[in-house]
Amino acid sequence: MPRLEARGVREPIPARAGIGLRAVHHEALIADRPSVGWIEAHTENYFHEGGPAVRALERARANYPLSLHGVGLGLGSADGVDREHLSRVKRAIARFEPSLVSEHACWGHAGGEFFNDLLPLPHTEEAAMLLARQVDEAQDFLGTRLLIENVSAYVTFEHSRLHEWEFLSAVAATSGCGLLLDVNNIYVTSQNLGIDAHAFIHGIPIGSVGEIHLAGHTRNGSVLIDDHGSQVCEEVWRLYRQAVDRFGAVPTLVEWDTNVPALATLVAESRRADLILGEARGLAA
Amino acid sequence: MASLREMQNAFATAMRDPTAPCPVRPAGNLSIYRNNSTLSFRAALESSFPVVRKRVGDDYFRQLCTHYRARYPSRSGDLHWVGRDFSAFLLEHLHGSEYAWLADLARLEWSREQASISRIEAALTAEVLANFGPGQLEHLVFSLQPSLALLASDFPVFTVWQANQFNDAPPVNQSVGSECGMVRMRIDGLEVRQLAPGPFSYLSALRAGAPLGEAISSAGLDQDGVVSALGFVFAEGLVCALKDGRSEKREL
Repeated sequence: MPRLEARGVREPIPARAGIGLRAVHHEALIADRPSVGWIEAHTENYFHEGGPAVRALERARANYPLSLHGVGLGLGSADGVDREHLSRVKRAIARFEPSLVSEHACWGHAGGEFFNDLLPLPHTEEAAMLLARQVDEAQDFLGTRLLIENVSAYVTFEHSRLHEWEFLSAVAATSGCGLLLDVNNIYVTSQNLGIDAHAFIHGIPIGSVGEIHLAGHTRNGSVLIDDHGSQVCEEVWRLYRQAVDRFGAVPTLVEWDTNVPALATLVAESRRADLILGEARGLAA
Repeated sequence: MASLREMQNAFATAMRDPTAPCPVRPAGNLSIYRNNSTLSFRAALESSFPVVRKRVGDDYFRQLCTHYRARYPSRSGDLHWVGRDFSAFLLEHLHGSEYAWLADLARLEWSREQASISRIEAALTAEVLANFGPGQLEHLVFSLQPSLALLASDFPVFTVWQANQFNDAPPVNQSVGSECGMVRMRIDGLEVRQLAPGPFSYLSALRAGAPLGEAISSAGLDQDGVVSALGFVFAEGLVCALKDGRSEKREL
């Protein structure tokens, strides 16, 4: 099924570093207009008709290309997708005209209860096909191609038969979606579950990655927790270089959602990604 | 092999009951998801009901969150709606106790939450009344700001709410009596304001679509009250549209 691309009036997200739009940075982002490539906002925060958040996004949108990143659809939920939620995503797309729209390879509700977290999927054929079908239906309804992100995992299902990269590749190939590769999530999952992060990156098809996420994590005993609450660690920067070597210069977002620092600190973190992307573009020229 | 639905149902059960079996490993790490989900749910309630939380204290508020979640689990992937039934829950949970008034305080705070995400329409000024003849005025039907919420309580919840905008708020005597008022969103922020019963009745009637004459009658306003009430809705920027309720044609 052919994919509808984003409307032509939306400028493409450049192959540069972007930053997440956080409420504490709204005023500084408008006043200082830092030189970042683009901004990303959590879709669910902008469902409403009014309020300071949507006003801030409208103002920021005038200055930067926008990516909308959803966390609440649970496209891998066997109970199906909430149609009202999907409609709200569609209205947000129409209102804010993002150049990229993304969600997660996860589930979020069962038996009518929503857990408001990115719950892990078993890596089975059935799960891959259900996720692919619901991503396909969502893309048709929304009128845009989606990028689907790999989540951090703290457990693995006993019934999993595929490697996560095989699972994601199957979802992308079947639905026509792109992938949002979260390199920090690859690192966290690899440390927690003993999988090979290098094999993960090299198991994702070239050309399928439309965006990369970088973020910090924290250690809680023997477990790494994906809390997006600190700088990107050196191991993740090393994995990121591997990803850029393989996939080329891809729009890269630096996420920092908890213990949010000053805007200048977040922008400085994004500069490091810009340097790596610049080197990749130089090599490709 | 278990189906995807069976696996997700088992996971969901284990999210509620740590002793329930779930086909994952290490099973102990399910606590991370349990914790994440609980913290998100609680944070949403803390954000929506800061004064209820302040009045009952953190420990009891956490207990209320736990009981509320068991009774009214999240029904949406959008965390904004987690608190939708909190007032109804408090009414059930605290019925007959000296804390039953917290349900009305929660209702006020939820109205604030909803007002904060409502759009602000361009307001009409009183000059628009010049477009209508004297005989039309009593038939005018008003469209008011979408963020406007009107609440009445048997308890002094507006006084409690105002007092708790400051640290070291003194306790409010809940026996002071009933209060009514409004919540609305302005360009410069949210407004919570207590109203006298007359203007409250008048605004409620207008809000329900009653024509002006009927709204004034229901509020029992005298001539001075009528002038004041009409001036109030326009001066406060509450009027978005007007029409003669007898005709579908003319709307401003």
